Amino acid sequence: MVLAFFVRGPIVDRVSDEALRGQTIVGGIALLLGVFSISQVHWRRIASGHADRGYSAILLVCLVAMAGFGTVQGVEAGGVFDWLFERLQAPMMATMFSMLAFFIASAAYRAFRARTITSAILLLTAVIVMLGRIPMGQYVYDGLPAWTNWIMTVPSVAVQRGIIIGAALGAASISLRVLLGIERSYLGRG
Amino acid sequence: MRFWEKMQGIDRRVIFTLIFASVIVPTLWPLHLPTAITPETQAFFNAIDSLPPGARVMLPFDVWPSTLAETEPMAVAALRHCFKKNLRVIGLSNVAMGGPSIADRILKRIGDEFGKTYGIDYVNLGYKANYQAVLLGMGSKIADIFPTDHHGTRLDSLPLMREVPNYDSVRFILIVSDNAMVDYWVSLVNARFGTPMGAGVTAVMAPKQLSYIQAGQLHGLLGGMKGAAEYESLIGYVDKANRGMDSQSLIHLLIIGFIVLGNVGHFVVRRTKGRGGQI
Repeated sequence: MVLAFFVRGPIVDRVSDEALRGQTIVGGIALLLGVFSISQVHWRRIASGHADRGYSAILLVCLVAMAGFGTVQGVEAGGVFDWLFERLQAPMMATMFSMLAFFIASAAYRAFRARTITSAILLLTAVIVMLGRIPMGQYVYDGLPAWTNWIMTVPSVAVQRGIIIGAALGAASISLRVLLGIERSYLGRG
Repeated sequence: MRFWEKMQGIDRRVIFTLIFASVIVPTLWPLHLPTAITPETQAFFNAIDSLPPGARVMLPFDVWPSTLAETEPMAVAALRHCFKKNLRVIGLSNVAMGGPSIADRILKRIGDEFGKTYGIDYVNLGYKANYQAVLLGMGSKIADIFPTDHHGTRLDSLPLMREVPNYDSVRFILIVSDNAMVDYWVSLVNARFGTPMGAGVTAVMAPKQLSYIQAGQLHGLLGGMKGAAEYESLIGYVDKANRGMDSQSLIHLLIIGFIVLGNVGHFVVRRTKGRGGQI
């Protein structure tokens, strides 16, 4: 599969395709394994009378309901699965995410302090970017969107690129260690 | 000084109420503020606009329901642009939880708006587990990965999919994502098959994607609600993203106000305490 990134030809493509097909099947089985595992964990919690058994029961009921309606009736618009997703799951997830705005505002007021030069630079940069990303920013100062764009495309990208390259090198080296048998911690050994 | 001391210990419910008001007020009474177009959004628009009518584009809805406020407006705007240009759209999702349903709902709504027919002008392939294998596998044969579409119809019975065996027949990929999927589309699909692509991502993800723009791996980027609002303005369909930007503007101003107020209060109180004065 790695070779297929650099060389294209009937043999390489065929071997790569077969490996991918196998990977897709393993992925599907892993999903089933995940469902089985989560069901087992929460069933044990209910059976042992754990303090949070109520939440476990809700999880199992929801799991069975969504999977049941999705399998029996399908996931088409107008069905029960779709109704549960659109009316319950999506609004609940959106609500959880929306609450971030409240906590960020509260944290900004209480914790974001210019105690040192570096934190003052961070604070100033944040203010410029926040102002430059909104329509009102250009009314405050015409050049703010350009300043924001410079911050985001030059210093920020430089750091991001460093992180990406670092993470890629780390992933490559750990993969190599696993392939060569040097890294065995995933087998429960040091 | 008692004022600043009191301000330091302000009840957080006051902050929450102000945030709530900043969202609700512009939603009820829109401010209609114009949004400056960034080069990345312009590049995204140009990439789609330059495609010939009938060209096939892929639109992965790699989003969770939690970020729909940001990602749905950009998916809707991208679809409107595609259908306005008579492009044909292949939707799919690599997010199990909600992705395929979101794709189905948005594709149908905008497809109906433009009088498009399922199977001919657009399809929804749905979801398949193991995104790395899915992304690479579609480069050889899409039907091997998705034998049927989201509704269980065989791909060979859908006229659009009979013309699209793999990425070679796809002119552009418009990724709408709120997670690391853009990295995989870039590193697996763009790197190996060379299919041009652009992305619409949440605001917190945008800075990372800018490195792909500069490397020429992405041909345009919509960053958060602002990117969606810019795109809406460019295609001439001002909708939810522009309305959302009013609320976002007020919240940003409010947070900046909180930061300034918090810092002034902190330093005034600290200086007074340092002098041994009463606060």
